[in-house]
This record gives sequence, structure tokens and C-alpha cells, in this order.
Amino acid sequence: MLASILASGLAAGAIYALVGVTYNTMFSTSRVMSFTAGQLAMLGGVFGSMFTLKLGLPIAVGFVLTLLCCAVIGIVTEFVAVRPVLKSLDQHLYVLSTLAVALMIQQVTAIKWGTEPQPFPRIAGFGEGVLDEKFWLPVVACAVTIIGLEYLYRRTLVGRAFLAIAEDNFAARALGLPERNLRVASYALAGMVGGIAGFSGGQLLLAFFANGALLNFYGFVPVALGGLGNNRGAIIGGLALGLFQQAANFLVGGIFSSVAVFTLFIVVLLAAPQGLFGASTARRV
Amino acid sequence: MAISRRDVLLGSAGALGAASFSFPAPAIAQSEPIRIGCLAAITGPSSAPTVGFNRGVNFAVDAINGAGGVKGRKIELVMRDTQGDPTKAVNATQELISQAKVHAIWGPLNSGEALATTPIMARAKMPDLHPCVVETLIDPVKYPNAFRIAPSNNQWDDAVRNYCLKIFKVKKVAVIGDTTGYGVTAVGASVAAFKKDGAEVVYQANVDATQPDMTPDMLRAKNAGAEAIVVWSVSTGMEARMFNTRAAMNWDVPFVGHPSMASGELASLVAKPENWKKVYAIGYKSCSYDSAGKLPPKSEDLVARLAKANVALNDTLLWWVAGGIDCIELIAKAVAESGSTDSAGIIKYWNSLSTYPGYFGNYRFSPTEHNGYLTEEIVMSESSTAKNGTFALAPGYT
Repeated sequence: MLASILASGLAAGAIYALVGVTYNTMFSTSRVMSFTAGQLAMLGGVFGSMFTLKLGLPIAVGFVLTLLCCAVIGIVTEFVAVRPVLKSLDQHLYVLSTLAVALMIQQVTAIKWGTEPQPFPRIAGFGEGVLDEKFWLPVVACAVTIIGLEYLYRRTLVGRAFLAIAEDNFAARALGLPERNLRVASYALAGMVGGIAGFSGGQLLLAFFANGALLNFYGFVPVALGGLGNNRGAIIGGLALGLFQQAANFLVGGIFSSVAVFTLFIVVLLAAPQGLFGASTARRV
Repeated sequence: MAISRRDVLLGSAGALGAASFSFPAPAIAQSEPIRIGCLAAITGPSSAPTVGFNRGVNFAVDAINGAGGVKGRKIELVMRDTQGDPTKAVNATQELISQAKVHAIWGPLNSGEALATTPIMARAKMPDLHPCVVETLIDPVKYPNAFRIAPSNNQWDDAVRNYCLKIFKVKKVAVIGDTTGYGVTAVGASVAAFKKDGAEVVYQANVDATQPDMTPDMLRAKNAGAEAIVVWSVSTGMEARMFNTRAAMNWDVPFVGHPSMASGELASLVAKPENWKKVYAIGYKSCSYDSAGKLPPKSEDLVARLAKANVALNDTLLWWVAGGIDCIELIAKAVAESGSTDSAGIIKYWNSLSTYPGYFGNYRFSPTEHNGYLTEEIVMSESSTAKNGTFALAPGYT
């Protein structure tokens, strides 16, 4: 039982963590919580299944095309749902605009792809039982993604520019950084991270249009737990959520496990409203 | 000229006498087509049943019209695409009644739409046949115009329970459904009925259909000593995960339950084809073949006629096609027997049907019972044996 909790808990947790990172990547350059994060992960599974199983392309080609498609969806989100509302961020119109785009993505997927879950192919073909690749691919993908992002943010000029925008939008613009282009790039990057989440978790979640809403929800929890904009917090929060959820599944059962998860979530937020790893910021009044 | 009291009395008597003779009905009413409204989700996510039903509906209309119609009157279908949306179904119903002035309605074809349209049709006294499973859609007092020609949820439940207890002879069952409204209601009703019949429900659960790992619930069911797992869900993803988990646990417990367990998508969702064995889904006698691969004679004859008319069965279910044929024939027969398209006559005819032999099954209606499909027509099928929209009978039937 413990092995099963660990395997499926870490797998689900890694997917939630990657969706949390998707939220953060979009938030960092725009200050917008885009509720398309879960849908991007859902599309990672759907595009992956479409390219590899329906169109018969090799796994590597299907993976690259999936990331490209998700990046395009990310960019479209920036143009359609984020850019028009940036001038009035304080009115939180982005909640409506990004939710609307998320719903459109879900409905179009339901109509074009179907409402039944579709299979996702084996990728490497290793392992059985708790060692099955479907449990460990999301974990590996999560580790590689976070290492890649850390490298990008700390070792490259573009990554530092992202950080500068995230830190102080006005100062970064005053220094001549192309804020708008960097924001578009960050949405493309977020699309790719979401695509990685969906592709690596495809065997576990299947290619299913309804996964988007679920991942939107469970992907938000690590963001809130770990602190908005904090990727390390999202990773730890995501993995903890997956493990706790799976342990609750074993101990108290399906419906009650969701209750347990959200009870813990509320308790943590009451104790640390800024998230476990988030820092409270001073606001000029 | 002065009018006397006698003249007034004579005139009045004459007028009364004339009024007592009915005017002959205009000839046009006896030659106009019989308009049947169809509320069908032709497009959208729930369109698969409609595709099958429509093949049967069109086949029956062509056959009847080709043979000269109903006492010389042709049948005219007035098809409306509801897209599975209750709002669109309500609009289409009102339009069919007040603008198209149909004589009877077939549909809607899913319960969500039917819950919205049934009261509207009742107010208009519109004769309605539908195949929707929700219990409350049939109420001869509130909706005297509505008749069901497919099993209700309770009938499915009865059939599954009878199979487990009387044919499979198990005593301990686990009942698992999803967390949708349907799943929660169905599990509750199923558990209560099993307990009432003396069975031991050793485990019951409602599981989120997107839960990636089904090991926790399957393990609990196994540890509780379940001899059969009854499934109430329309989620093929969840069902495939349960079948795969059973195989991973090396457990040979049978699954019995919802027809979706026989859905074609499962073939690609299970890790190995053998994981889909020992899964018994709700099916129907008329659409189940025996160990020799033969359907009942009447169904064999229908399949041959459908093949001759180029009606495809390889991508749909025979019961949908047969149900579509039955609905048109029931309306045509009602018009023929009652002699008009008057709604009262059609409803009166349906209420008088103590046995009506259809293709999908035999129907029985009365003024107090509008659930026409007979429970004994429901059987369990081997889920993985689909062949031209039909399935092999599950073990235990002769």
C-alpha cells in the first residue's frame, strides 16, 4: 500500500506541481492568474495522443509538436485574454477573460476530440506495477523542467529579463527591456510547461477533455500553498498535495479524500495566508 | 314583417338541430401527412445515440411511406437538432408544437433535455415517446401524454441485481459509481435494493471519474470480500482504470453494471484485451446473440432487412436502431387504429397496448403504467463481444 501511495501520489503531485509552475510562469510577467493553466496541461495529453496515436508520428516528433501547439495556445491566451485587461488589473477582469478562454478551449476540445477519454501511448515502455513508467515519467518531467527553468532564470540573459519584469515591471521597462515581447514569450513558455505536464501524465490521466478543469483546480492548490510566483514552493506544494491526496484515498476513500485535501488547504492558508514559502510584500498606501 | 314568438322558437329549434349534426371534417385533414417531430441531439457530445436512433427512424419512415403510408397518409419527419442542450430542446419543442404543428413527438433522446421538455409537452397534450432513463420522466397523472419505450434506471438496477443474486449467485457485492449526480443516485438506489433482497453490500463508494489510480477502492473492495463489483458510471476512463487495476491485482472478480462498460472505446483504453473479460454490461434479449452466434429470429430478420437497405450497424448499437423503428411504428399504428392524428386517440391507443411486439422488445402500456419496456427483456452481455451493434449473452442464460 505504501509503495502504491508513493508511486501514484508522487506522479499526481508532479503533474499538479507542473500546472502550478504554469500558473506562476504566466503570473510572473503579467500579474495575471490565468485559468488556462489546467487546460494547457489537458491539451498536452490530447495533442500528444493525437500526434502519436491518431496520426502515427514518432513519440519524439509528437512531443515536440505538442509543445509547439501548447506554446501557440499560450500566446493566443496572452493576446486574447490578458493583454486587453492589463490596464485595469485592479478590477480583476482577467478572472473572467481567462476563464472564458479556458471554457472555450474545453468546449472546442470536447466537440473536436470527443467527450470520451482516449488512450495515450507507452513512451519508454519500462516497468510494471508501482514501477510502471506512467507513475515515474511525470516525476522525471517535473525534475527536468524545474532544473531547466532554474538554469533559464539564473544563467541566461532572457531568463534574467523575465525575473526583472517579474520583480518590477516599470523599472524593467525604464531600462529598455521589451516588456510586451517578454510577456508573450513567458506565455509561450508556460504553454510548453503545461504541455509537458499533460504529455508526461498522459498515460495516467488519459487524453480527456475534462482533465482541464480538474488540473486547473488541483494545480492552483500548490500555487496557493507554496506562495504565488514561487516555483520551488509550487513543486513542494504539488508533491505534498499528491501524496496527501493519495494517502487520503487509501485511508478514507474517494469523496472524503477531496474533503481532507481542502480542509488541509484551508488550514494552511489560515495559518500562512501568503503561502508556506511566499513572502508578504509591503504595499504603498 | 313581424317576428312572432313561434317563429323565434322554431328558428331556435332549427339552429339547435343543425348544430347537433357535425360538419364533415375537411378532406384535407385525412390526406395531409402525419407530422412526427423529432427532438434529436444530431450534433454535439451526446450525438452517438441519435445517429443510431435516426437510422431506425428513417428506415421505418421509408418503409411505411414506400408501402403507401398510413391509410394513404405519408409520414413527414420534422427533425430538430437539440445538440444535447436542454434550452435548445425547450425552444425546439415549443416550435414543433406551435409552429410546425406536429401530431406526435419522438424524443428527446437524453434525460437532461427530457426533464425540461416533458412538462411543456404535457401542457400541450402532445403524444410523446422517448427512451430516457430517469424515473420521474414517467408519471401517468402529471404527464399522461408521455410514454417510455426503453428501460428506466430502476429496471436496469433490477436486472443487474437479479443477475448477481439469481444467476451469478453471489452474496457479497461492492457497489461503485462516479461522483456525478447520476452516479451518486444510482449507487444509493442499488445498495438499498441489494440490501432489501438480502445481499451483503461489503463496500460502496463514489469515486471521482478522473481519479488516476483506482487501487485504493479496488483494494478495499477486495479486502471486504466482494464477489462481484457492480458499476454505475458512464465514464469509460474510470471503468478502464478499474479493469486494469483488477488485472494488476491478479483478482478475477466480475464486473456487472452500466451499459457503458460495453462501449467500444474501452478496447483502446484497457492495457491488455484480456483485462476487458469477465465484464458484464446491461444488454437486451433482442440484441444479444447466443453461443451459436445467432440473434433471436425476429432480430435476425430485422438485421437482414437493414443490411438490404444499406443501414450500417458496425458503428452503432442495434437497440438504438430498433428503438427508432419501434417509435415510428407505434405512432403509425396509433394513427391507423384510432383513425386520426388526434392526440387523445393516439394516447388512448397506446394506453390500450397490453402486448405490443416491437423489434427492440415487447411493450406493455396501460393508463396507469407508461414504462412500456419489460424488465425481462433486459439481460447481461459480455462487454467485449460487440458485433454489428449486438453482444454475446453473459454466462448463465440459456
